[in-house]
Amino acid sequence: MNIFNPRVYVTLMALSLLLLIPMGVGSPFIYHIFILLCTFAALATAWNIVGGFAGQLSLGHAVFYGIGSYAAILLLMRFQISPWIGMMVGAVLSTVVSVIVSYPCFRLRGPFFALATIAVLEVVRLVAIHQTGLTGGAAGLAAPLNIGWQWMMFREKWIYLLIAFGFLLLTLLVSWRIKNSRLGYYLVAVREREDAARAVGINPVKVKLIAVMVSAFFTSLVGSFQAMYLTFIDPGSVFSLELSIQVAMFALIGGLGTVFGPLVGTVLVLPIAELARGWLSNVGNGFHGLVYGVVLVAVVLTIPKGLVGRFGVSFSRWVDSLPGGKRTDDSADIVSHHAWVPATKPAGIKGEVILSAINLNLHFGGLHATNNVSIALNEGEILGLIGPNGAGKTTVFNQLSGFLQPHSGEIKVRQSNGQWVMPRTPEEFARAGIGRTFQIAQPFADLSVLENIMLGAFMHTSSSAEASVLARKVAQLTDLSGMLDTRARNLTVGGMKRLEMARALATQPRVLLLDEVLAGLNPADVSKAVATIRRVRDSGVSVLMIEHIMQAVMQLSDRIVVINSGSVLCEGAPNEVMTDSRVIEAYLGKDYVHA
Amino acid sequence: MLKLHGISAGYGGTEIIRNVSLEVNKGEVVTIVGANGAGKTTTLRTICGIVKPESGSIEFEGRKLDGLRSDEIVTAGITMVPEGRQLFPHISVRDNLLMGAYKRSARSMANQRMDEVLQIFPRVRERLAQMAGSLSGGEQQMVAIARGLMANPTLLMFDEPSLGLSPLLMSQVFDVIDQIVELGTTVLIVEQNIVHTLKIADRGYVLENGEITMTGTGQELLDNPHIRKAYLGI
Amino acid sequence: MEIFIQLVVNGLLLGGILAIISIGLTLIFGIVRVVNFAHGEFLMIGMYAVYLMHQHLGLHPYVASVFAVIFLFVAGALMQRFVIQPLLTADPHIQIFATVGVSTALLNLALLLFGADVFSVRLNDFTSSTIKLGSITIVSAQLITFCVALALIVGLHWFLHNTFLGRAVRATAQHRYAAQLMGVNVERIYILAFGLGCACLGLASGLLLPQYPVFPTIGSFFVLTAFVIVVLGGLGSLSGAFLGSLIIGLVDSLSGYYIAPDLKEVIYFLIFIGILVFRPTGLLGLGRGSE
Repeated sequence: MNIFNPRVYVTLMALSLLLLIPMGVGSPFIYHIFILLCTFAALATAWNIVGGFAGQLSLGHAVFYGIGSYAAILLLMRFQISPWIGMMVGAVLSTVVSVIVSYPCFRLRGPFFALATIAVLEVVRLVAIHQTGLTGGAAGLAAPLNIGWQWMMFREKWIYLLIAFGFLLLTLLVSWRIKNSRLGYYLVAVREREDAARAVGINPVKVKLIAVMVSAFFTSLVGSFQAMYLTFIDPGSVFSLELSIQVAMFALIGGLGTVFGPLVGTVLVLPIAELARGWLSNVGNGFHGLVYGVVLVAVVLTIPKGLVGRFGVSFSRWVDSLPGGKRTDDSADIVSHHAWVPATKPAGIKGEVILSAINLNLHFGGLHATNNVSIALNEGEILGLIGPNGAGKTTVFNQLSGFLQPHSGEIKVRQSNGQWVMPRTPEEFARAGIGRTFQIAQPFADLSVLENIMLGAFMHTSSSAEASVLARKVAQLTDLSGMLDTRARNLTVGGMKRLEMARALATQPRVLLLDEVLAGLNPADVSKAVATIRRVRDSGVSVLMIEHIMQAVMQLSDRIVVINSGSVLCEGAPNEVMTDSRVIEAYLGKDYVHA
Repeated sequence: MLKLHGISAGYGGTEIIRNVSLEVNKGEVVTIVGANGAGKTTTLRTICGIVKPESGSIEFEGRKLDGLRSDEIVTAGITMVPEGRQLFPHISVRDNLLMGAYKRSARSMANQRMDEVLQIFPRVRERLAQMAGSLSGGEQQMVAIARGLMANPTLLMFDEPSLGLSPLLMSQVFDVIDQIVELGTTVLIVEQNIVHTLKIADRGYVLENGEITMTGTGQELLDNPHIRKAYLGI
Repeated sequence: MEIFIQLVVNGLLLGGILAIISIGLTLIFGIVRVVNFAHGEFLMIGMYAVYLMHQHLGLHPYVASVFAVIFLFVAGALMQRFVIQPLLTADPHIQIFATVGVSTALLNLALLLFGADVFSVRLNDFTSSTIKLGSITIVSAQLITFCVALALIVGLHWFLHNTFLGRAVRATAQHRYAAQLMGVNVERIYILAFGLGCACLGLASGLLLPQYPVFPTIGSFFVLTAFVIVVLGGLGSLSGAFLGSLIIGLVDSLSGYYIAPDLKEVIYFLIFIGILVFRPTGLLGLGRGSE
């Protein structure tokens, strides 16, 4: 880490304020506020790994906080075990619980996942109250007062502050590392567009479980510390829905999905609320809670991306303009002038079948959507898949990429070593070498073009640096090198379609499935796209494309398959197929042939 | 009766149709033909007010339509039978039809209108109490068209009425459309199966890549080789 | 055996109260597709409103509930128009935060205005009288509530199936786009739906006050149960909400006696989690909203 980079020194300076201010002022009340600041910011940062990065809004996170609290105090009380060890036990237990609870709940959409986590929290709280033998029930437990590092109890407040600050740094570090790693990218992808993520080989459940486990671990650690700091716990205050909501709220206000957002949100809101609680307690209870509620609604309606989300980019630019700051990204200098070369040489023999679908059948209720369809794609060819609207082409595509399971029939893919595999899920198809685009383009809107392509590249490497290099090469092939830093949502239709292709190509597929990549393009873009598809084929990728722009289909295809009403109508060389009277009838109507 | 001047529209900032101008006169049958992705559905949705045009204007019976809400446009007398039926699946066929008469001016006459409409669709009459989602594809299409008629619209628009239907059902649907045309309703059809529509159409427009490239009478377009190129690439 | 029957009767009657609260919730979710985390707090402010009208204007809670219905209809309509409507196209988690925010704000506002004290209403009139059927005792207030719940369901059902507006509400719930094509102003329907859902709470507040005290967190006390019921019965299904209420009422009554009073909530949260995981459409729900 370069200490002269303004991003680094500004961050260090800002963080150190958390220590310097209370130490300067010296009053116990201020110490208390800053200790709370650090612990809540740490909790919010840990929560953000699940709620922000993974997009699973948990309102029951206090479960892990509570487990950590009770583990530390109970082990201390019953077995005189140091809270430092008790903390670790609690954290491991929390991690296990997090897996058991989350795994069945992941398939629940947003609010239902939140409701399920609330239900879990309530169950745990009620059981804790009920099991007085174990937990002391509603009356709670007081930590035995032993002073010393071993017992995590001190007379001086500044030691507590130091430890809380340490936890904050730890969670920030973990959060930062995750965000910039492959896991971080994968979490964004799964959060934004799960289907597109699976198409580049990501396993959503695995990725979310890792996030939950990390988050639960650190939440539990902080819970243990807080229990020793407050010296008293009871089920209502540790297994607290209010606490879960507060933590989530700080992360939202600061910015979900950012590293420093939760800290910023906590720093801005918590002191106001705590001071309000202190000064205005004669006005009545509940003022600080009202502040929380109103601020939350206001933020949601005005800056839903949170403070860091909304102002982060401009702030970073200002920081970069300070002495020592860099303006451009170093690695942009590496622009390869060689044409893109696939990482593995195609070991197959040109002309041999590489993707084979035999007798596929699929029913949707009473509709026989796919009727005994067999398609064989040969290595090195471009196969056009055409047919009238509603004929079932995309349904076939979805089966060839794992998004739909045929009710009967077999699909197999030949690997570079000659072996056949029969993938089932979209991730398996992706890893078997099938890349695909989606008819309605599914870019990861808030990521840059480069980051979008990197998501495909990550399938074969876990290093961000390598992924970036590969992504740049693919960008060259698809004419996107000029807009690597553009947010995907700001691209034109043509750009988005090329991005779809680029992301699929970055997975280094052997087969590329293109679903109407030319739709909605103006004629100039169509010619560019046609040229790109040819380059792709020439680099060793076999192509199967659904298309309606017939001029392009005729120019590109080696062979054409026509689908009508779910069945294969005919197949063969372009000229034969397009002059076949059955095909003309399917497209233009029965009487056209004679009209 | 309906005039589009230089309409450009799309979704989320991307333009699907550019500078589209067309006219439908009272009592006419007009069709828009073009390959998939050309922008036919977008054009109809813009007329309905579901999509707001970026530029251009729409006039209907002298009134400005662009900028009005979709419910106001329905009240003005334009109804669309959308692509893929779009019935209310867990509601009875009768209630689906009644929904067709939702606009205020149609409500009081709804039951009477239902009787009239069901004359054209005897098979639908048999299914009034069934959940619309349980009907077959062809029956659903009949219900969708009947529902469109319930509002007694001045202009009735069809978006690919034969989509996904077997040839037999397709011809039944076209028979029904013929009947509607006989009754004097002004019709605008977007249809993939162009032969039938061009035969009954008074005039047609060809939409390619979001722009109108040709127009003429139904017969002129049917004889024109450009149509084959637009659909088959040859 | 007699105890068992009494418990069953108590459970069913409790189901009546729960039904009125849950119907509003399922209506809002079924139509607007938003999980209103502030539903309990709306009930709470309804109860405070009825309480104030009783204390200061001398109105019987049942009479005051008419005004509470109007008051809460307006509150719900405003919430939909100014908080939910701007967020309809936002990510669902933003909507969650918005309703959670309103919930927190309302709860703490009540705490600020009324303190944490418990206010209850002692009415020595027909509401606390009991009816005896053999060895079974029934509290009149509970029976009245049950009957009102039935009337509410029947009334809502009639509205939804026999009026143009009601049909439009069902249509919008099932297929928003097609409803627009029919000339339905979808935004107004959502406002109506949210208002109606909260208005049910107005009814509930007047009926509940004679039987339960009011304090700031009484809303959360009921609403988590309401969520369980709504998910159990199937989101968007009125009859599902009623059936779910009866089931949960029975569970509450029977498990409170046979297992342990402080564990009854555990039982229904476990049911809740079970349904969400194994049968998320609930018993009668059709997934995409039915009535």
